[in-house]
Amino acid sequence: MLLPQETSPAFVVKPLSTLSPPSNSRTWQSAPHPTLPLVATACSDRSVRVYSLTSFTLLHTITGGHKRSVRSVSWKPGTQGQSVLATGSFDASAGIWRREDQGLEENFTSPRRVESGEEEEEDDDEYQFSCILDGHESEIKSLSWSPSGQFLATCSRDKSVWIWEEIEDDNFETVAVLQEHEGDVKCVAWHPEEDLLASASYDDTVRLYREDADDWVQVAMLDAHKQTVWWVEFEGSGMIRLLRGDGKSLTKEQEQYLEWRERSGPRLATASDDCTIRIWHRIPREHSTHNSSNNGIPSIIRSATLDEDWVQETILPQRHERAVYSVSWSRRSGLIASAGSDGKIIVYQERWKSQTPNGVADDPTPNPDGTNGEGDSAMTEWVIIAELYSAHDVFEINHVCWARRADKGRRSDDEEVILSTGDDGEVRVWTLEEQVE
Amino acid sequence: MADNKDNANPTILNASDLPSRRRDSIAKKREDGGTGLFDGLVPSYNYLSDPFEYPLSSSDSDEDSAEDIDEQEIYDLISSISDPEHPLSLGSLAVVNLPDIHILPPTSPHSSISTVVVEITPTITHCSLATVIGLGVRARLEQALPPRFRVDVRIKKGTHSTDEAVNKQLGDKERVAAALENGTLMNVLRKMLSTCE
Repeated sequence: MLLPQETSPAFVVKPLSTLSPPSNSRTWQSAPHPTLPLVATACSDRSVRVYSLTSFTLLHTITGGHKRSVRSVSWKPGTQGQSVLATGSFDASAGIWRREDQGLEENFTSPRRVESGEEEEEDDDEYQFSCILDGHESEIKSLSWSPSGQFLATCSRDKSVWIWEEIEDDNFETVAVLQEHEGDVKCVAWHPEEDLLASASYDDTVRLYREDADDWVQVAMLDAHKQTVWWVEFEGSGMIRLLRGDGKSLTKEQEQYLEWRERSGPRLATASDDCTIRIWHRIPREHSTHNSSNNGIPSIIRSATLDEDWVQETILPQRHERAVYSVSWSRRSGLIASAGSDGKIIVYQERWKSQTPNGVADDPTPNPDGTNGEGDSAMTEWVIIAELYSAHDVFEINHVCWARRADKGRRSDDEEVILSTGDDGEVRVWTLEEQVE
Repeated sequence: MADNKDNANPTILNASDLPSRRRDSIAKKREDGGTGLFDGLVPSYNYLSDPFEYPLSSSDSDEDSAEDIDEQEIYDLISSISDPEHPLSLGSLAVVNLPDIHILPPTSPHSSISTVVVEITPTITHCSLATVIGLGVRARLEQALPPRFRVDVRIKKGTHSTDEAVNKQLGDKERVAAALENGTLMNVLRKMLSTCE
């Protein structure tokens, strides 16, 4: 039902708004709040700007914490009654900021409440600096909270990935310093269901890490990009529901494939300076080796069993002409959006490949030796459903992400917008509209 | 003077032999408000019309003058940069050369993004300052050119022992941005670019 016609692109990326006022210098990345209609934007003027996704206006500017560009921001998931934001900067430090959530204020741009003392109210209203995470030797490029909120991962030009654990409020402990990469680490991302961390690097590789007893160890290395890998992001949970659709018309092979995908789990998307976006998946383990991480086997052996087999599944249709800086995998629609130096926003959709009677292999699961998925044996394919040139005029786009739509024009609870963050200091908001013939 | 320069005796070209149009460089006109060295890196978006609010007919003189930019003009912008270790310009040291500058037009009618490719020739094959020179060239062009230009600065193939590593650094936007926030490096660059008036 979601599948577009053959004549792609079938959709248009349509401007909805530009967050106002914009920054007057480069903006690097934007993070939608996990529950509230807010987005935080990391700015090269050392500030973080928090905008409303209801009114598209600036609510807060967080300044005074960082001495250089703020490169990355990440909201802590699962907090109650307050919002917690982590900021990573070129000054080599990460900051933690807190603000008490104030009811419906974010949902309605109503005048400030006046019941209580005004000054107090003003203070409460701001994001309070709560602590600083020092340790990296050079610029922090990216940071990300684990889905449970237990861990915060940071990465830096110093080639390392750090994992921090918040033992109690504002008391962070370094639980791992991972130094597997041979170059700047550009991006970190967590698996949506497991404590599995991915990092992308200037050394052209992506690495995955897991906790092994007390140590975090590398469990996989993904090595196919020809240039710096700028972005890494996992697929959402349970996204195979999109391919299942109403479930009526699936072939036996397709059912088998979905069963295989279920065991494999969320996939990984990576974007690179080599202009490609690649999709990777994990070769499902045999059941016997699952959940064996704490069964008394000496750790040196256990490490080996932790190793995961991640293989390239496909390269998305290639439409970018310069570095791809960012991809975002919608947790609702399963669509992928990408953006980069060429100023384009591209949207991709996965769909069942139309099957030719003699072209379908008996076993629809990808070959376990790693040569899976590509070519005729692939069950699905990615098509471009929308392509927008010059989304930020002539400027580069540093980041793109999906966010839940929250303005008055919202057509359904599930509707999403695309947020793009550019060198022009602007965060632009886009909707995906079906092409009118 | 005990000298630990990488290349104490570089070949120097005569100023009259350098490529020129024999007229004032257009670059000077662009320098009208040139106070901050890296102003150009902080995008000045405000003169661009918002394509969603205005029809395309609002394309103004800025765009027209942009069409005039050619290789000679790029050369004029960067040949006057000073070498970080000699009191000489990159043009006279033949670090930048007109035939090694290329302007690639937009790849699609939907795009107005052009690409400037500059290949620099370090004075000797192991010149440790190649990265700084490349950074200076990139910074200069990003400062002086309209934002519709993407600037790719590379070491000319075969002229440097670690050219790929240097190219990778010079092509990395994030590294360049961070480098330009580094005070020590900024001072070196400021000095190099001080002769670009």
